Amino acid sequence: MKKAAALIFGYNEYGIEIAKNVKYKYENVTVFSLSDMGFSIENKDDYDIEKFDVSDDWEHLKSEYEMQDSIIFCALRDEAENIFLTISLRSAFQESMIIALANNNEDANKLRMAGASKVIPIVETTAGIITDMLKKPIITEVLHGILYENSNLEIEQITVHNVEYFGEKFPADIEWHKEYNVIILLVIHEDMSSEFIYSSKTKHHYIKKGDIFVAVGYENDLKKFKKLVGDER
Amino acid sequence: MKFFNRLLIDFAYYLQNSVAYQQKRRFFYNLLENDEYKYKKYFDICMIILIFSSVSILIYEVKKDVHDYLNIFNSYVISFIFLIEYLLRLWVASSVSKVIINQDEYSDLLGREFDLWFVTKKILKEKFEYILSPKAIIDLLAIMPFFHELRLLRIFILFRVFKLFRYAKSFQTFSSVLATKKFEFVTLGMFASIVIFVSSVLIYVMEANDPNSPIKTLYEAFYWSIVTISTVGYGDVVAVSKEGQFVAVVVILAGIAVLAFTTSLFVSAFTEKLDDIKESKTIQDISKNKRVYLICGYENIAKEVAKKLLLAKFHVVVIDDSLQRVEDAKKDGLTALNYNPGSIESYAKLNIDMSVQVKAILCLREDDVANVYTALTVRSINTDVFIMSLLMNSKNRNKLIYSGVNEILYDKEFVGLVAREYVGQPVAFEAIHTLRSETSAIHMEEIAITERILAKYPTVEKLENIKYRIVLLGVHKKSSSKFFFNPSDDTELETGDFLLVIGNYMFIREFNKHLSHKGEV
Repeated sequence: MKKAAALIFGYNEYGIEIAKNVKYKYENVTVFSLSDMGFSIENKDDYDIEKFDVSDDWEHLKSEYEMQDSIIFCALRDEAENIFLTISLRSAFQESMIIALANNNEDANKLRMAGASKVIPIVETTAGIITDMLKKPIITEVLHGILYENSNLEIEQITVHNVEYFGEKFPADIEWHKEYNVIILLVIHEDMSSEFIYSSKTKHHYIKKGDIFVAVGYENDLKKFKKLVGDER
Repeated sequence: MKFFNRLLIDFAYYLQNSVAYQQKRRFFYNLLENDEYKYKKYFDICMIILIFSSVSILIYEVKKDVHDYLNIFNSYVISFIFLIEYLLRLWVASSVSKVIINQDEYSDLLGREFDLWFVTKKILKEKFEYILSPKAIIDLLAIMPFFHELRLLRIFILFRVFKLFRYAKSFQTFSSVLATKKFEFVTLGMFASIVIFVSSVLIYVMEANDPNSPIKTLYEAFYWSIVTISTVGYGDVVAVSKEGQFVAVVVILAGIAVLAFTTSLFVSAFTEKLDDIKESKTIQDISKNKRVYLICGYENIAKEVAKKLLLAKFHVVVIDDSLQRVEDAKKDGLTALNYNPGSIESYAKLNIDMSVQVKAILCLREDDVANVYTALTVRSINTDVFIMSLLMNSKNRNKLIYSGVNEILYDKEFVGLVAREYVGQPVAFEAIHTLRSETSAIHMEEIAITERILAKYPTVEKLENIKYRIVLLGVHKKSSSKFFFNPSDDTELETGDFLLVIGNYMFIREFNKHLSHKGEV
């Protein structure tokens, strides 16, 4: 039976860090290496290591993994090879989520053109985190806890199914923080455009089925809230 | 005599150990000589105003009668102030008590008698060294108008203008640059003097006996030489004889050489010193900054960090041992110096108090060896300053910790965390990313609770954030250093707490104004 997996191309420090961090979501994590030399025995339980070639036709991936539900990371250190790999994978798997690492914004554009669904520009991301730490240390610490660490506080995207629950109310009129102990930051509409909870547009938008709330709260409160709005995935 | 010597030595020790005396001496030294002293500029400005008012009165009284008060002010008051200044400078120029003590210790060590005559000579030598310095001579001449009954001495008021050299830094830079070409200027002076002397004598010999020639005296010949050699050529005094005209041709040619030599000397002196002047100006600017981020190493990540900090209007200083990278930083609009971040001397040259003026040291070379070395260097100078460092290879994490780095920045870990969140909550992640991006109108801000805010808004309930369309994510309590999410209305605020708010930046600004407003609630 085919399985969903995280497929990480690039056996380097970036690839290994990604493997460690996506393990919680994907049972099967495979790191692909361009060479079969120097495989470390560390973290052998976290991921499998396989050799690959950028000119592969990826037939073995199709046969082994459920590619539509899998996620692909292109993390080769050589930019040209990484772009070639991204194009190659995109041509083989049109529907897959491909996340590629780029050294900078210039390479990020090329990777997007090559078909990457999401690009992480390493330099800009690192610089952004460093600057946030310096400019707004408390916000950065709190968000870091919410986003990346196993704190009780979580951020969730919650899809509204039970629209009747709200009646004909505007999101800004509900005292979410008092009623449910959650804070709604954004409302994402059907067209995937996001609006701040107190923006003028949201103030005049009735809550509709399919709207997604980006909410922050404690795990239990979020669960309860999800139940109320009918998002019980 | 021995008794007198003992008395003198005891008095010298008394002065040396007297806190009040040393404080006063240090105060006057700082006020007169220390450019870093914050009150010196006010003193300098006062003196400049006195100089200009003195010269203005001199100019005014050439054609008009000046009130007696102004004359008294110009001749006595200003002169008296300058006299006090002169005496203070003479006092702080060298320490008499120190010379006496040194000599006493020296005599003690060698088992000799204290030699008063030798000490007196040494003290006088040091004081005269100061008195005969060009600046002290100008100071002394500026006091001369005190004796204004001697009409000639009034012209010494103009010497007060030269005192400006003391108070304006640019004049000092100008003279120090020219001083580097002292030998060349002396050579030029000798050459010009010889040409002027020879041409004056020659033209005098050729023209003095010609009834049609305006050159009758040696003084007129000297005047003609100067006017000709400087290529000014007024034409009021000219050579009329054939021989005199020939001398004129030779002097004109020599004049061109003198002029060209002078110009090139000035230009080369400034060109050679331009980098030094720029560097000292940069250091001066840096030392004035109250809170700077010092970036050590200017590579890819450092470039982005510096760009973002500059956009947020922070003061950023880059030091790097690569000239190319320093040039890149300058092109990017940063203050950058070609100093080695791993050298203690570099930080000494910067002339900043690290504990007070540096917000953080950012070791951003993409090389762990360089970052460890820089961090250790900084830590050896200052134990408190906050150091952040990039980590390129996870195996070196401990080395950075041992070198005293407060915050380690491992880009691979950041990428891993971003990937983690993205695979888990892609929509929420993108939304938060949008909120944090600089181009978004929605900002996340920290608002510090001050005493003024606390006086009017002691609890969360009173803040009225929703009225301002602001989301209060939580409160960071100073007392516990913990973040309290969605605080209840009765949560008490304290000075030093931070409100974490999210909203349109204009509404946040209004909310901030509302909190800080002095009026009643």
